Amino acid sequence: MDLREHVYEVFARKARGDRLFHIGWVDAFDDETARIHAWTTYSEEKWFEMVVVRRDKLVAVNRWGAGFDSGAGSGSDTRSGSVR
Amino acid sequence: MNPPLRRLIVGLADSKRLLGIRYSDWTIGAPSLETDISLASMAQDEWGHARLIYAMLKELDEDPDQAERDRPAAEYANIDVLDEAAADWPSLVATMVLADGALSVALKGFAEGGFELARSRVPKMLAEEEYHAPLGAAWYRRLASSERGGALLRRATEEQLPAVLAWLGTVDEERRSVVDAKVTSSPKVQLDTFAADVGPLVAECGVVIESVNPASEWDSGRGRGPGAPADEAVVRARGDLNRALFVR
Repeated sequence: MDLREHVYEVFARKARGDRLFHIGWVDAFDDETARIHAWTTYSEEKWFEMVVVRRDKLVAVNRWGAGFDSGAGSGSDTRSGSVR
Repeated sequence: MNPPLRRLIVGLADSKRLLGIRYSDWTIGAPSLETDISLASMAQDEWGHARLIYAMLKELDEDPDQAERDRPAAEYANIDVLDEAAADWPSLVATMVLADGALSVALKGFAEGGFELARSRVPKMLAEEEYHAPLGAAWYRRLASSERGGALLRRATEEQLPAVLAWLGTVDEERRSVVDAKVTSSPKVQLDTFAADVGPLVAECGVVIESVNPASEWDSGRGRGPGAPADEAVVRARGDLNRALFVR
């Protein structure tokens, strides 16, 4: 079985017009599963909007090897063997 | 009292209640933390929906509290495959796809019928659990793509599918009565919908849904096969331990 998962960054806003905040990350093996995991994991608020993006799809603008790129959350993008 | 409608309501509510228990069995122990959390959320959905469906019994002048808390295991009308805890992760994934999928089809049929409480309450339930089917499908595909996972998944699917098909598609006097009264859709419509929903998925581990025969043994009093949920599950479903702690 392919145990590789990817890290997805999770962004959300509480109300229309609010700024979109980075609220955390989830591990998931595809976009659909990432949507589900994000929605159920970060359910402490009634979000107006939530989006996820795979960490390795983020394009660094000014800091390479830092921030998201270096694993601000749970590590690098691919999490081989992270499945228990 | 309307016995065929009562059977329909109790079968749906008991299945929701037991499915919630089966999800909760795996909320600590699913293959990833995120899946644990999703299962916890799904268990909450199922339990909340069960309560709303039991409450429809008031319309039949029956006390829903009694139905929820005071029935023996032998009266439970849940889909048979929920009687026991899933033996392994592939079994639970098969349950997510088959039992949860069949329940959604049955609820959709109920929502489109003429029973007002179902028309008003069930669409919201279906919307609330819109992520159940995609999560089950994602895990199903993932397991099916591996040799060992695929073999376990196929075995679980072949074990569960006959009872699920019977629960959804058996035509008996009670079922005919609620269909004729336009309370719910026909077994044929529900089976066709179910086959369209899950047929392509189960084909990924080599199961041809059209070639699977429904289980033949049938208890028309409850609208399910013979047998009953395990005592431990019924204790949880009824909340016996809560009462032992003086909670309700």
